[in-house]
Amino acid sequence: MSKKYSIFITVLFCLFIFGFGIALLVLPDREFSEQENRYLTQFEAPTLDSVFGEEGKFMTDFEKYVNDQFPLRDQWIQLKAWSERLSGKQENNKVYFGTDGQQTLFAQYTKPTDLAQRVNYVNQLGANLDVPVYFGLIPDKTWVWADRLPDHAPLADDGSTIRDAQALMSGDVNFIDLSDALHGEDVFYRTDHHWTTMGAYQGYTALMSAMNGSFTLLDSEPTLVSDSFYGTTWSSAGAGWVKPDEMYTWVPDNGFTGNTTVTRYPEGLPIEGCTLYDRSKLEVKDKYSMFLGGNQGLCVIQNPDAQGGKLLVIRDSYADSLAPFLSLDYQEVHLFDLRYNRTSLKQYVADNGIDQVLVLYSSSNFSTDANLFLLGF
Amino acid sequence: MVFSTPYFLFLYLPAVLFLYYISPLKFRNFILLIFNLLFYGWGEPVYILLMIFTIVLDYFAGIIVHRCKVRGNDKGARWAVGISLGLNLAILFFFKYWVLVASTLQGFGLNVPTFDLVLPIGISFYTFQTMTYPVDIYRGDAELPKNLINFGTFVTLFPQLIAGPIIKYKELADQMASRTHSPEKFASGVQIFIVGLGKKVLLANNIGQLWDVYLATPGAELTTLGAWLGILAFSLQLYFDFSGYSDMAVGMGRMLGFEFLENFNYPYLAKSATEFWRRWHISLGSWFREYLYIPLGGNRVKAGRLVFNLFVVWACTGLWHGASWNFLLWGLYFFVIIVFERFFFSRVLKKLPGWVGHIYGLFIVMVGWALFAVEDFSAMGLYLKAMFGMGAGLLDGDFLYYLRSYLPILVIAILAATPLAKTLWYKAPVRARQVAIPVLALAGLALATAYLVDGTYNPFLYFRF
Repeated sequence: MSKKYSIFITVLFCLFIFGFGIALLVLPDREFSEQENRYLTQFEAPTLDSVFGEEGKFMTDFEKYVNDQFPLRDQWIQLKAWSERLSGKQENNKVYFGTDGQQTLFAQYTKPTDLAQRVNYVNQLGANLDVPVYFGLIPDKTWVWADRLPDHAPLADDGSTIRDAQALMSGDVNFIDLSDALHGEDVFYRTDHHWTTMGAYQGYTALMSAMNGSFTLLDSEPTLVSDSFYGTTWSSAGAGWVKPDEMYTWVPDNGFTGNTTVTRYPEGLPIEGCTLYDRSKLEVKDKYSMFLGGNQGLCVIQNPDAQGGKLLVIRDSYADSLAPFLSLDYQEVHLFDLRYNRTSLKQYVADNGIDQVLVLYSSSNFSTDANLFLLGF
Repeated sequence: MVFSTPYFLFLYLPAVLFLYYISPLKFRNFILLIFNLLFYGWGEPVYILLMIFTIVLDYFAGIIVHRCKVRGNDKGARWAVGISLGLNLAILFFFKYWVLVASTLQGFGLNVPTFDLVLPIGISFYTFQTMTYPVDIYRGDAELPKNLINFGTFVTLFPQLIAGPIIKYKELADQMASRTHSPEKFASGVQIFIVGLGKKVLLANNIGQLWDVYLATPGAELTTLGAWLGILAFSLQLYFDFSGYSDMAVGMGRMLGFEFLENFNYPYLAKSATEFWRRWHISLGSWFREYLYIPLGGNRVKAGRLVFNLFVVWACTGLWHGASWNFLLWGLYFFVIIVFERFFFSRVLKKLPGWVGHIYGLFIVMVGWALFAVEDFSAMGLYLKAMFGMGAGLLDGDFLYYLRSYLPILVIAILAATPLAKTLWYKAPVRARQVAIPVLALAGLALATAYLVDGTYNPFLYFRF
């Protein structure tokens, strides 16, 4: 190597490491990452205690800070995803790439090791209550869309969670087998783990057939409300090549008769006069929270024109897009999220004159949620 | 601190290079010393005190040995060497092996405290580098350093502090006193560094995820081909992790004007266990040869004593790799095979065609990695059973999935473990290479950055050493 050429290589290398290093220090720090849907680590000045005590807290926090605030972080993550895809990998960051040109993303599914314990909490609920209790598990995307999962993908739902749960039920609970309830190209979002409005409708018909003997047939078409939804699975995968999902609503904001009202309890206190959809959420990354406005301990939907009585749904976020359909058949639908609501269920059922109780979880949330024990109280 | 992290690559390294090169020559060792201590203390600041103690201990031991020798006091010199060796080994023993000894004794019902010590990073490497310094002064192989700063800078030199290569003071003494800096040296360092970074981040970390899958697979579910795929992944991960670190060390050394010796020479081309150890972690092998094997009498002794000498060296080599009994087992495994080769099999091997030797060598080494990588003995037993056909069948769906996913990267890694790329590289015309270097360097840096920024997955295999 000549001297000139060596200087060229040296300068190139230094430009790269000095350039990004200086950019990291100079550029303003970001608070929140839309792509990852989480808050990013901020810089905290070192103190004697954070350096020499607390197991080097300053150092570990600083490492996180540099990673989180690294210039062009989102683009680096996407470059890595591209590199994995081009090198023949069928997954990235615990997300499988579908065989449909890597357009469908699957969060990996791990079977629970303590299913019997979890089902037992549901059985306890059934034994505690005098009203009919129904239990359904929404099959995982890796089960319903197994045909577009990579061959032999190890971490997928093989249908055994629902089958085993059914075998573990006591006589106090009516099990609703949803393992064969969802069909079609549009029942899940490609970029998110949730079911779509169409998927939720299929789930609704299966649930209602079991609980009510009938369901409301819709003759209208779903309405497109967004064509730019990137879900959480997309965030994990960093899969920049994936096309966004479309989002639909089917039941109008205040029901088909215009009389449906929604009371939300996001912080415990009621917010009255809400509708089935919070369209402001369509402007942010987490668009799925458009359904009923996102996570909350309790949400009550009232439809005075419905035939049925009062339904309590103990649920995860999949129920947000299901609830508009349920409100067609029940005068009151109470949505109860154990993660944010510690009220005694027995008490709640008695106080509110609940007629039917539905425990409805997605298979993956049911396998991992740490709050199911509350069902037993 | 770990090389393969954004904060090292984009903050620490530029800061070192900048302050190093704007300082006058005579302050450069001091600048390095400060940064070395920052590097060392980053994970566990209190251990800086331990490091300073080691530096001062060996520095003054060297001076005492030297003075005794000048005055013809051989006995005094030997005592000084002995005491400093003893203290160094005691530190190494206490910080690295006490937990193992204590927990083993607890297993026998004895009530001894484990102290729950965190292993000081790189202790196995730097104690080996420093404790032989008084020995070399005694043997007349090394001169006294000019001052404490030069010696301290040598002991803590960050490019090779935590993962080698193990460099003896006598090899680096001249460079500590004075070394040249040039764009040619820097640019060659850049290239070696980027190759090392790529080996570590793009190959080792990537293939390591495949090994993690098989390590986590319950022993009863392992299939034969799956177990071999797992061990293949581990073999490649360990090699690229370790040699990647060595390359980064050599590369950054050159950027700072140092020349370190290479630590690996395509180990997986070895045609026997004996040859493997001449190609793998060369600086460790040469250390044990010079300071343990030859002082024990080496091979110029009777057969029985030779076997004993080999036993001691391989037991120590095994335990050096980690404070866990499986590493001892792994060392003794090589002891048995190397004795077997020495007294009998090497003569047979010479007569067989080369490819038989390659298969034999790889087989020995890969079975050895199973002992090395699976620390729990019952899990190790199940893993070996699966490798030898007594597992849950020949293959399963998981194997097909992982083979398909990792095939391209495995092929790249296997080729990269041979001299093929190097041979082709030097066959290319100079002009083509000149165009390719900046393109490959930038692509390598960019891809490595992408994987580092993305990854919380950046395990470092050598914290245990």
